Amino acid sequence: MDGKRKKLTFALLNNTPVLLFAFLFIVFGFVAPQSLRYQNIENVFKQASYVGIIAVGMTFVLLTGGIDLSVGSNMYVSAVVAGLAMQRYSIGPWPALFLCLMVGAMFGAVNAFAVAKLKIIPFVVTLAMMVTGRGIGLMFSKSHAVSFPDSVTGLGSADLFGLIPYPIVLFAMVVFCAWILLERTTLGRQIYAVGFNKEAARKAGINTDRALITAYILCGVFASLGGFISVAQLGNVNAGFGKGDEFDAIAAAVLGGVSLFGGVGKVFPGVVLGAVFIQTVSNSLVSARVDLYLHPLIAAGFIFFAVFIDSLRSTYLAKLSRRNIRVEE
Amino acid sequence: MKMYRILLRWPEKVVLSDHFVLVLTALYFLLIWAIYPHMAGHRNLANLLSNVWPLLALVIGQMFVLIVGGIDLSQTSIMAVTSVLGAMVMAMRFDPAKFQHNPLWGVIFSEQGGWLAGHSSAVPAAIFVMLAIGMGIGFLNGLAVAKLRMPPFMVTLVAMSFFSGLAIYLTRSENIMHLPASFIAIGKGAVGPIPSALLIVVSLAAVAFVILNRSVLGRWFYAVGQNIRTASVSGIPTDRVVILAYVFSGFCAGIGSILYSARLEAGRPTLGRNLLLDVIGAAVIGGISLFGGKGKVLWAVYGVLFFVVLDNSLNKMPIEFYSIDIIKGCVILMAALLDALRTRIAANQVIAVGAA
Amino acid sequence: MAECALKIRDISKSFFGIQALREVNLDVREGQTLGLIGENGAGKSTLMNILGGVIALDGGAIRLFGDKYYPACPADATRAGIAFIHQELNLFGNLSIADNLFIDRFPQFRRSPLIDKRSTYNQADVLLSSVDLRLPPQTPVELLTPGEKQLVEIAKAMRRESRIIIFDEPTTSLTAAERSRLFAIIKKLQDQGQTIIYISHTLEDVLRVSDTIAVLRDGCLVSAGPRDEYSVNKMISDMVGRKIEQMYPTRDTCLEAKPLLEVQSLTQPGIVRDITFQLHKKEVLGIFGLMGSGRSELVRIIFGLDPFSAGKIRLNTVNIPKPSPALNIRHALAFVTENRREEGLLMEASVMENLNLLTLGKCSKLGPMGLIDRMKTTKCTQQMSKQLNIKSGPIQKHQAKNLSGGNQQKVVLGKWLLTDPVVLILDEPTRGIDVGAKVEIYRIINQLAEKGTGILYISSELDELMGMCDRILVMSNGRLKAEFQRDDYDQEAILQAAFSASN
Repeated sequence: MDGKRKKLTFALLNNTPVLLFAFLFIVFGFVAPQSLRYQNIENVFKQASYVGIIAVGMTFVLLTGGIDLSVGSNMYVSAVVAGLAMQRYSIGPWPALFLCLMVGAMFGAVNAFAVAKLKIIPFVVTLAMMVTGRGIGLMFSKSHAVSFPDSVTGLGSADLFGLIPYPIVLFAMVVFCAWILLERTTLGRQIYAVGFNKEAARKAGINTDRALITAYILCGVFASLGGFISVAQLGNVNAGFGKGDEFDAIAAAVLGGVSLFGGVGKVFPGVVLGAVFIQTVSNSLVSARVDLYLHPLIAAGFIFFAVFIDSLRSTYLAKLSRRNIRVEE
Repeated sequence: MKMYRILLRWPEKVVLSDHFVLVLTALYFLLIWAIYPHMAGHRNLANLLSNVWPLLALVIGQMFVLIVGGIDLSQTSIMAVTSVLGAMVMAMRFDPAKFQHNPLWGVIFSEQGGWLAGHSSAVPAAIFVMLAIGMGIGFLNGLAVAKLRMPPFMVTLVAMSFFSGLAIYLTRSENIMHLPASFIAIGKGAVGPIPSALLIVVSLAAVAFVILNRSVLGRWFYAVGQNIRTASVSGIPTDRVVILAYVFSGFCAGIGSILYSARLEAGRPTLGRNLLLDVIGAAVIGGISLFGGKGKVLWAVYGVLFFVVLDNSLNKMPIEFYSIDIIKGCVILMAALLDALRTRIAANQVIAVGAA
Repeated sequence: MAECALKIRDISKSFFGIQALREVNLDVREGQTLGLIGENGAGKSTLMNILGGVIALDGGAIRLFGDKYYPACPADATRAGIAFIHQELNLFGNLSIADNLFIDRFPQFRRSPLIDKRSTYNQADVLLSSVDLRLPPQTPVELLTPGEKQLVEIAKAMRRESRIIIFDEPTTSLTAAERSRLFAIIKKLQDQGQTIIYISHTLEDVLRVSDTIAVLRDGCLVSAGPRDEYSVNKMISDMVGRKIEQMYPTRDTCLEAKPLLEVQSLTQPGIVRDITFQLHKKEVLGIFGLMGSGRSELVRIIFGLDPFSAGKIRLNTVNIPKPSPALNIRHALAFVTENRREEGLLMEASVMENLNLLTLGKCSKLGPMGLIDRMKTTKCTQQMSKQLNIKSGPIQKHQAKNLSGGNQQKVVLGKWLLTDPVVLILDEPTRGIDVGAKVEIYRIINQLAEKGTGILYISSELDELMGMCDRILVMSNGRLKAEFQRDDYDQEAILQAAFSASN
């Protein structure tokens, strides 16, 4: 039955993250059962939260069919501005966080403008912003490390109600907000539509610019938030802060089932699993004492695999939508 | 009235002409010269030109990939990995303190030098290895893009990450020094009054020019980039053409690696790390479209000239190093904006003419 | 007297010198169904594109329920209450049915931006049941059949309370059961007083659903009136009744028996079934059929652009199990596709570059790595350009996108002719071209046939085929239905064969 096989293939291709994760779970269950203890799982989630938050932001942009390579530099500039403000103007940790998010939003707004209104290809815009942003950040920090006071670093190690670490709480809140936006608001559904077919979306009366701008600004905000959380765990920001994180965020999203071609992907459970998956692999490599220099290679291998599956799904869908004439059987 | 119109058209012609970027570069150079007279000094010009050649090699390779509608972000990491592997073949001596814990210690190289250290064939073999690996990586890129239908920027982004990681892994972040003098002469030496780097890159440019302008294959590159469906119906083997473009890009990255490694006198796992923006920037500024189907060797030359003059002048100015990046980023945004505008105007013309 | 829903007055539109619509006047009364018919190229799609805001009109005016109507873009048309059920459906496959129905504005909880899922699904259920689509609204659209997707489009139009629903060739991708369902829904809509425009090639269907019928021909409205005044025969003769002037060269049919192209039992499920025919030397063989009958798909399969699951293809008695464009070109098979802009030309390239695209290898030694012999290619292309009378600036510089449709088509033709083909397949070679260029192309094709080339000629213009071809094959629903020899040409018989809805 062609219909049944179609449905099965769809189910497989659309649920890769869950399947991957289940596979990983089983493997670990056999090979290293101690890694499945609660403390360990909590640690993994905590470490994964900052990349996870950035990945959620990246998801918005990916859903519209775009990409944001500037999130690493965004993190850097936002953190530097917040840190310097705390140092020079003695503002508290919450105003600093707010300032950080504002800068992140502004950064995202520049991307949004260039992509939506100037119609430059997202990859070029964000590549240029990656370099420019890093430069601006260095301009503010004069290449010195910017340290954060205890009021912030405390957040990194503290637990909400003494139970759940703050990073995980924030990650959960971000995922929840993103989920609500994408699944339960008109704008969110329109983001999916724009990513699937921008022209059809325009014809259907959707304000495509609004969808794009929202996606890039949100990506900027979440990038700066993720950066802030990372800083809270590290204590200071040095010149290389955030470098390469865009890659991890894209990996987490694509592994989580978000398509590079746009219009496909869910933040929950997809991206969450993707981020945790990457962190788990990273941790396992460390505990298996795999040569540190091999980590980026293995990571690249996983990402390639994820992009390959994504391309398979996309080609398969394209084949199906080719018009059929009804032949009298 | 007519005269006025003709006069108005003149600047438009200049802007849209092939040589616009060259004119721009020249004007900019003159402007900077007025402020910093030593820009036109003999030594500065020589320094400036010596930066042109390796970058031009890379941009020529990138151009082929851009013409078929793709992009190659892995060129810089191809440089890194070929630099390192080539050095392993020909280096004369390895400091045990640095390389003892290297995975290939004792296997490919040892304290006495690289695999073929001391042999007369060391340098040619190393060069062969570098170019072959560059082409091999390019082949893998092309395969993933053409046959597996994966998005070019993602494929080459992953390749970039993988191969630069590989280069660092193979050397554990150490530079490989003590390269043979004959190799270094390739990057730094000269044949008579002409630098050997110039000879190599000009030959490469000439080959690229002949391929693109005069050969059947060149026309196939353009056809695939302009309209892959028409190309396919016309019997052009589009998959092979795309793969070839990436192979050529890898080859050029290999050449760039040879020149840079020779100049820096070391095999470096971080070679070219900051060059990606320069390569893409020079290509886009020169007018090679990111949308595919357009590109000329001349444009690549102009784009590289502009970028090198810009880079050189920014380095001379009393501004901080980060401002250079900021300015470069903005310049690339401008160039991409121009590219997008030009493409949109061309597309609108097609719709206006006969929607029959 | 029912209000006039749509008043179309003196609409004219021309494309690069070709008059697509000539002062068309049309009225659609509210609550009525207008059946709009005409051959391909008669102007139906142009008229609909103007209504839908896709292109602008040159002259004339439209009034929608009394108000002036000047859509600048498709969204304007949607806002004004005009809904199109196109063949190219504008649905989002990655979203659910409910999402597609409400994508511009979901039912929301009061004073909040949150979607009220329950209300959404309830409303969706209501809409779906009114179009008799028994599927859960959460179903992703990509899993639906074309027929089901069409029903979703109709439901969308109903949700928007569209004042006019336009059906554009709605039955080409439907099964028999889905067609019945569609007509039941149209009946329901009519009972509700919906104004409908129904465009279709299936004349019996048009008779079935319409209250009034309008016939377009060559951009003009040739007849309009209540349905009772029409029969299938009258519709056909109105659509086609054209004076066949001496547009077509005299055909000295002296075809030779040698089969250049043989196709045996060619089958691809869902596309074509059991196609068998032969093309002989010096023969011009026409294939006639409506859009969706499988003619273009058939030749694409022969040329190797699409796969086939069963059957044989033989070129010059050589069996070709796996055709591909490159292989076929080597066997001197040429294919002028029906869409010169998407698959025939490189719009940004010059005329000369387009002309020599296939013969570069011939003009050089060493094949693809070889250098192009510039003098030779210049000579060849200039000769061809002159021979085909291509009107353009210097061919090295003039870009293909700046040519008229007729000249563009000549460039595509010239490109293939330079390969000295033994078999030439033409798919709609004179679509969108002015009469002058058409006559020239007919002459060229006739000359080619006389010199020995076998020509497979696909067209929707029946009198063109009758003028040019020695034999006409008629396709319908993926099968070969009939064959007519030159002496037996009968317009109405051929059209009957093509329009036959079943069997």
